[in-house]
Amino acid sequence: MALPLSIDFEFRKLIMDVHISSEKIKYCYQCSRCTDNCPVAEVQNPFYKEVTNSFDPRLIVLVTLLGYKDVTMAVAGTKAALIPWGCTVCDTCDTVCPQAIEVTEIIALAKNVTSGAGLAPDNIISQAKAIFENGKAIPPQPAIERRREQMGLPAVAAPDVNEVQTLLKNIGVDKKL
Amino acid sequence: MTEYKMFQGCVIGNRVPFLEASSRKVLEKIGVQVSDAPFACCPDPTGMKSFDSTAWLAMGALNLCLAEAEGKPIISLCNGCANTLRGVKYQLKHDSNKMEAINKELAKIGKEYKGSIDVKHFVDVLKDNLGGIKSAITKQMSNLKVAVHPGCHYMRPTEWMESDDPLRPKNLKEIVAATGANVVDYDELALCCGNAVAGPFPEHGDAILKQKLDSIKKAGADAIIVNCPACFQRLDTAQRDVSKRYDSEYNVPVLYVTELIALAMGISSEDIGLKNHRVRRNTAIENL
Repeated sequence: MALPLSIDFEFRKLIMDVHISSEKIKYCYQCSRCTDNCPVAEVQNPFYKEVTNSFDPRLIVLVTLLGYKDVTMAVAGTKAALIPWGCTVCDTCDTVCPQAIEVTEIIALAKNVTSGAGLAPDNIISQAKAIFENGKAIPPQPAIERRREQMGLPAVAAPDVNEVQTLLKNIGVDKKL
Repeated sequence: MTEYKMFQGCVIGNRVPFLEASSRKVLEKIGVQVSDAPFACCPDPTGMKSFDSTAWLAMGALNLCLAEAEGKPIISLCNGCANTLRGVKYQLKHDSNKMEAINKELAKIGKEYKGSIDVKHFVDVLKDNLGGIKSAITKQMSNLKVAVHPGCHYMRPTEWMESDDPLRPKNLKEIVAATGANVVDYDELALCCGNAVAGPFPEHGDAILKQKLDSIKKAGADAIIVNCPACFQRLDTAQRDVSKRYDSEYNVPVLYVTELIALAMGISSEDIGLKNHRVRRNTAIENL
């Protein structure tokens, strides 16, 4: 696939705002230390065969800074695309970046954008649904509640689900589920 | 004496509560007091944060408000929850735009986040109480060779967690060594268990886990010691998947650090529900 060359300035602005100091991302000099230490890049496509089918944090920083939204989403419109969903959120790239760029936060933003378009992986959507419906990612189950009792553990204090739902609705989470 | 609000999290509370049993027993033995609060999901720093970062901040802040209302610090039994709660604290402390936006949302449900309480990962609390642990140990674990896996979110991002060396962590090793167990070093100590990528891309998650397990096997460990329920589940349940995918055998038992300490304190394996693990205990553990 050829590189799509349309620049999305809105997306670029979002990326610039990821860092508390928005200048920071500009100081990426593409040294590739993030990619060299990325566990997913290591197992997924170690020889960089295809740019749009590689999980490559260095490239993600470059293309997001340039505003190439379509490359960031792998092929625009793909559900659970490798870029950005190949990120395993281990935060190793942030740790080794000589310029202290928060690569994981940049990828999280790209994930947020694809989620808004309904293109998040199913496991991510079902977790968000469970949290919205129960206030917990894993709702209470009778069998586990019995096991807790048998082990002498107190019942898990129930969260205020209405409060959680109001908070999430005001942010607009319900519309994305 | 500090009293902590117990944040066991969704995975421990509602799926693998036996990890909470050993944790509560160990904390009690060393004199750390805990009480409960109606916390919601932290929420997940790899799930909900990826779905909607604003919702992640808002729910994290809501949970912090619940502890603030009682003026007590939080103790988390999970890397993910500790990572979220500390990450939310960090971002709201350093970004006044975010702080303002989140407090505007919280005001609509009658809450205000001030940033007044601390969040501790339970490993850091254990480390501060090493003396107490050592004096409560009745059974030296010196026959056991173990590898430790502290997991990514216990120490990264460094700015949020302020806990340990982000690439050469040593706190968990120190705690495990206090039980008399022999900690073996292995090359892939700081490597992820692959949990988050295994959702959408199981083949990549398994390839990462294989590297980790190969390195642990090479070091000759009888068991893997962890301090995160997500890593625990991944290491305990996915060894079968990795064995199948690569046509080889992976069956190293996984113990929560509080399970090891509880056993060393003479608490019985029945009392801490050790039978609920997927990977069967090997002879090294049976003989404890």
